[in-house]
Amino acid sequence: MTAGLDGIVRQILSAAVVALLPALSLSAAADEASRGGYLANAAGCEDCHTDRDHGGQPYAGGRALATPFGTFYSPNITPNPETGIGRWSDEQFLRALRDGVRPDGANYFPVFPYPSFTKITDADARAIKAYLFSLPATRQANRAHDISFPISWRFLQNGWKLLFFSPGPFRPAPGRSEAYNRGAYLVTALAHCGECHTPRNWFGAMEPDRFLAGNPDGPDGKSVPNITPDPETGIGNWSGEDIATLLKTGQTPEFDFVGGAMGEVVRNTSRLDDADRRAIAVYLKSLPPIHSQKKGR
Amino acid sequence: MFCVTKFRMLGAALAIAVVGASGPALAQDKETVLKDRQATMKEQGKNTGAVKAYLDGKGDLAQAKTAAADLTQTTKKIPELFPPGTDGPNPTGDYVAKAVIWTDWNKFLDAQKAAAAKADALLVAVSSGDKTAIEAAFNDLGKNGCGGCHTTFREKIEK
Repeated sequence: MTAGLDGIVRQILSAAVVALLPALSLSAAADEASRGGYLANAAGCEDCHTDRDHGGQPYAGGRALATPFGTFYSPNITPNPETGIGRWSDEQFLRALRDGVRPDGANYFPVFPYPSFTKITDADARAIKAYLFSLPATRQANRAHDISFPISWRFLQNGWKLLFFSPGPFRPAPGRSEAYNRGAYLVTALAHCGECHTPRNWFGAMEPDRFLAGNPDGPDGKSVPNITPDPETGIGNWSGEDIATLLKTGQTPEFDFVGGAMGEVVRNTSRLDDADRRAIAVYLKSLPPIHSQKKGR
Repeated sequence: MFCVTKFRMLGAALAIAVVGASGPALAQDKETVLKDRQATMKEQGKNTGAVKAYLDGKGDLAQAKTAAADLTQTTKKIPELFPPGTDGPNPTGDYVAKAVIWTDWNKFLDAQKAAAAKADALLVAVSSGDKTAIEAAFNDLGKNGCGGCHTTFREKIEK
């Protein structure tokens, strides 16, 4: 009799679990997508992958990115199965970010900042994919890049990678504070600050010993300031609070409000948590000061 | 009747004289316009600084209110600081106004009106004295008002 009752209770319980499971995993998926939304915003995916100047749909690509090597057009990263990334597996998405490789095996050009994104953790990359797959699937064909030979030969990128690309996830520095390591992860991986603020060599690779020391020839031919703590040519006179304020409202210590490409970035950094903005400030203040030829701004 | 015609002729002659003189006059004007524009922007910067000082606990509310009131005025007169032909070289500044201001004047006006409305909202918030409301209004004006225009309509001069 007891055994029978026990069995019934067990059956009811397991039925309840089976009924609840899809709901539970649904809400876990929704959580992951919303976490991914925060991360995608920190990474600024939407800025390059939206043709805002021509009223393009979010994440549907087509924005022209002028570089010294030609003009690249960002691809559609909405979940549209034909024109976007709707058929990609998690593994294919991770490979794109981690190794700079398309699902068909061809290389991306480093205008896609995979040399920074390689440092993104797998869990964060999966969350970003979950977020992208929660977006409307916009049908918009990708536009071919306007680049010439030999740059246009994608397999030559293998040589570039051999010389300039070091794959691998972010490793927290032991003995450093949690804020420092969070800031380092945001700056070097997700927010990929170095892609614009670091000068590039003849081959378009970031110069590692001049990390964040300003780039005289940044996107659209504009110079990008030195954000190392050099007091004369960098932001050595800024307090951590100044840096966090800039990331929140775009206001500089001289009471200007930044525009241009950084104006776009501030739209994203203004949506970060205060703790993340402070972490970025902690990390930037801890960098070795690097002197640049002219004042960056 | 005769007099009216005479006046018309005089008017036409004057108009021709003005047009004829407008070449060098314009160059002079541009310099004045740029100086005015820079002075107004600097004044706005100073005023946002006064509000920020209050938010940071380094300034007083009365000064923040004066500053916010000034911002409601200066954001409204932005269109007159950008007469046509005042893009391009700017020898005394770090930035230039982008030509898109005049090719898409309505878009520029929309952005300016949005900024002016945000300045009005800031003054309301400052007058209420509620720090949370002031901070929200200030961030909105800075990031979307000032920063919004600087992102679309201003570019750095490469020296």
